[in-house]
Amino acid sequence: MKEKEKKTDLLKEKKTDLLQGTLDMLVLKALALGPLHGLGVSNRIAQITQGVFQVKPGSLFPALHRMEEAGWLTSSWGESENNRRAKYYRLTKAGQRQLKTETDDWERISLAIAKALQAT
Amino acid sequence: MPLLPRLSSLWRNLFHKTQRDQELTEELDAYLELLTEQKINAGLAPEAARRAALFELGGKQQVKEQVGEARTGYQLETCWQDLRYGLRMLRHNPGFATVAVLTLALGIGMNTAIFSVVYSVLLRPLPYSAPEKLMALFSMRPQLNSFRGPVSAPDFVDWRAQNRAFDAMSAYAFNTYTLTGSDLPERFIGRRVSANFFQTLGVKPQLGRAFLPEEEEAGRNRVAILSYGLWERRFGADPDLPGKTVSLNGENYTVVGVTPNDFRFAPVEIYTPLTFAAADMSDMARGMHFLRVIARLKTDITLEEAKTDIENISRRIERQYPVTNAGKYGNVIPYQQDIVGDIRPSLLVLLGAVSLVLLIACANVANLLLARAASRQREIAVRTALGAARWRIVRQLLSEGVILSLAGGGLGLLLAYWGTDALIGAAPSDVADSTPGWKQIGINPQVLSFTLLISFLTSIVFGLAPALQVSKPDLTDSLKESGKSSAGFKRQRARKVLVVAEMALALMLLIGAGLLIRSFQELQQVTLGFNPGQVFVADVSLGNVKYRETSQQINFFQQALQRIEKSPGVISAATVNFPPFSFNIDHVFTIAGQPEPAPDAIPQADYRVISPQYFRTLEIPLVRGRVFTEQDVAGAPRVVIINEALARRYFPNEDPIGKQIKLGRYMEVNPLHTVVGIVGNTKNRGLEIEFEPEFYYPFLQTPVRFSSIVARTQGDPLSLTTAVRNAVLEVDKEQPLARIRTMEMAISDSVTQRRLNMILLGIFGALALALAAVGIYGVMSYTVTQRTREIGIRMALGARRRDVLKSVVGQGMSLAASGVGVGLVGAFLVTRLMETLLFGVTPTDPATFGGIALLLLGVAFLACLIPARQATRVDPMVALRSE
Repeated sequence: MKEKEKKTDLLKEKKTDLLQGTLDMLVLKALALGPLHGLGVSNRIAQITQGVFQVKPGSLFPALHRMEEAGWLTSSWGESENNRRAKYYRLTKAGQRQLKTETDDWERISLAIAKALQAT
Repeated sequence: MPLLPRLSSLWRNLFHKTQRDQELTEELDAYLELLTEQKINAGLAPEAARRAALFELGGKQQVKEQVGEARTGYQLETCWQDLRYGLRMLRHNPGFATVAVLTLALGIGMNTAIFSVVYSVLLRPLPYSAPEKLMALFSMRPQLNSFRGPVSAPDFVDWRAQNRAFDAMSAYAFNTYTLTGSDLPERFIGRRVSANFFQTLGVKPQLGRAFLPEEEEAGRNRVAILSYGLWERRFGADPDLPGKTVSLNGENYTVVGVTPNDFRFAPVEIYTPLTFAAADMSDMARGMHFLRVIARLKTDITLEEAKTDIENISRRIERQYPVTNAGKYGNVIPYQQDIVGDIRPSLLVLLGAVSLVLLIACANVANLLLARAASRQREIAVRTALGAARWRIVRQLLSEGVILSLAGGGLGLLLAYWGTDALIGAAPSDVADSTPGWKQIGINPQVLSFTLLISFLTSIVFGLAPALQVSKPDLTDSLKESGKSSAGFKRQRARKVLVVAEMALALMLLIGAGLLIRSFQELQQVTLGFNPGQVFVADVSLGNVKYRETSQQINFFQQALQRIEKSPGVISAATVNFPPFSFNIDHVFTIAGQPEPAPDAIPQADYRVISPQYFRTLEIPLVRGRVFTEQDVAGAPRVVIINEALARRYFPNEDPIGKQIKLGRYMEVNPLHTVVGIVGNTKNRGLEIEFEPEFYYPFLQTPVRFSSIVARTQGDPLSLTTAVRNAVLEVDKEQPLARIRTMEMAISDSVTQRRLNMILLGIFGALALALAAVGIYGVMSYTVTQRTREIGIRMALGARRRDVLKSVVGQGMSLAASGVGVGLVGAFLVTRLMETLLFGVTPTDPATFGGIALLLLGVAFLACLIPARQATRVDPMVALRSE
């Protein structure tokens, strides 16, 4: 776990630009399955990436608020599983479209990169 | 990106900031609790779980700031912060802010005002159609160095008939009209113009029509076109005026048209057709020059071709009429150049001066900003060390520059409006009248944007200096520095160069102003040849119907004079057709008994027609012989009085008394007049013009219809106005008085242009002096703070206060001296450009140069003394400990 965290941090330092887009996509993907609060989003991302990405609050919250202002997410206050007040985020229509675009883009790029790396 | 949610978030972020902030805090608190709970569930003790959660969050404030940065409007918000911070900084340095803003405002305002006027006069096309095709034609006699003389009627008629270069050519002659009717009689200045005058200018009357070609013929020429202003004022803007009859100079004229409202052609109110009588077209009439000529160039003809064309015609005329036309040719000058000819040198000098002021202003602002940069270096280094991004600091400094520029620009705009109005109002009336559209001159937008741009660039570029400084990686150096790093010295050099330049420019300006002031003083010392104090002047022009006979003219003026002389307070009164400082007519004459002179040596003199009391009224001394008396009437021997200049030039070795002269050339048959007296010389044309030869005819013998009444009074001359007007109305109730003034006013008006130049250049000079003083003061007081430690050591080692004073002042004065040196050389090269504006001093007048240089050094000395005295108050112990 510790090892992986270090790796992510390293990644973060080196490829901020790439990760910015990636983070958006991961957040959108996490929310595509249903509304979540902040901690839920970061837990979901850790879960679906099998722990490769540990999103820290310092990146998570700016991303959430930025995407909300862009109109991809809406938020509302609600009760958590154990009756705590928490702010829940939910994907909008625009957010679903954005996830689709980003996914398509990502697939195209990763395919291209994979091909490039396999080329001899 | 969808716009609507963006805008609504922007709105919330900017105006519901606290609410947003609170919500975010709650969200983060909730996150923290959920995370703690999650960790407790994973098996950690509550205390440890809380600590771990806090650690993972990594500081609530940081996260909040990171979220803030991601929000819409973040840039806007920080800009606002920068602006507020900038304002606060400026408020804490009111001295700096005031000087910088005022400097900018003066630079912007003055430049805009002067440039606007210069543009309108020199560069803006005339308000006529295709103004660049409009030419003014003159008679020139290159041998006599005369290039812009009026044209004779036969010459004009030949030019108009024979030229191939012009679409239209039109002549006009000065005339005055007395309008009588229901209101009080009133006199107007007007022009007799060729029928195609308005077509030549490319102007259509607003109402009615222009003149028809046949209206140039005698008998059909009783038609008139009125100016818009006259039509509005005197005829209540009556739309049916064309076709109606008005009484001008006692004759009936049919009004055919009214000029457009924006049409300006000198101060002309009435136009009538110009008709040439047989006498105007005689061979001898070729020597009578009274016409001004304008013409419109054909589209494919150049100025040079037109000149050649007119010159060829002139040479043909010269061969045919050598008596009148030898050495006389036609000259073609673009009309705009002609009308701005007189004011052009003044405007160019003002333009140069005000550009210097702008340069000095920019140098000063740059200097102030550099000084501030030096004192803020540490502040900026601290902020950088605390993690401020460089672009953030640059933006901070930029916003300060923008605040300064905006404040300076706003104030400058006000100054520009005010200055343009002041300049327009202060201009001499002849300039205002002869420049079409003078009153409409407003701020020129291009000019304003140019000066704003220059000043903004200065304040912004130099405002950024400290930001460039911190871009260097040696942050620690900057932090440690207290004013002794090499970078500091380098910037100091830039500031010194700026100060030297400022001093040099200021010196040049001051010398220019000084030369103008000296010229003005010289002018005031000029000997007039008469006493202008307490003299009343008014013009009277008699109509040619009621006063057709010379006896009628004599009667009128004699009766009017008798009544005026009886008015209380009048010492003596007289008539003169052209009082000093009004118009002048020069005339060729022939001395009886002398051989025919060569064409370029024909005697020529100003002449005046006066009543017997004229010399007494103006206190012109009689040198020899006698003055005119009541016995010098028609039928008595014809007499003439000459002035000393004429006696000296044309009777160099003989006694002129008893000699005879006649008007006109050798071959002309005109009555001979015997010289009966010689009087002192008088200035008539202008203070700066040498005494001209002059002769006087007696009014009772050779009366004229146009004359001025001059009266010497005991008290205020203008208090005589009612008495004189009543006297005139008693003789003829339809006769107006025009141009009521005092002789001193007339003289003062003749130097308005000079006075204005002097005052403006004086203001610019004073401004430059103040700016330069501020500049050198700034540099020296900065140097003193830089040298505090060094001075402390010196004093600790035994230097006396006087040594310190000498060292600081010496440093400043060496800067001032270099500035003065450079400035003297510059002034030496530049002042000759203003030679035409000078009178009685050379452009390199040593007294002015020396005096101004001393003045500037003196002011610089005072400006250095203040920081130097500060330096002497340095306490060695404090200075040494301050490190």
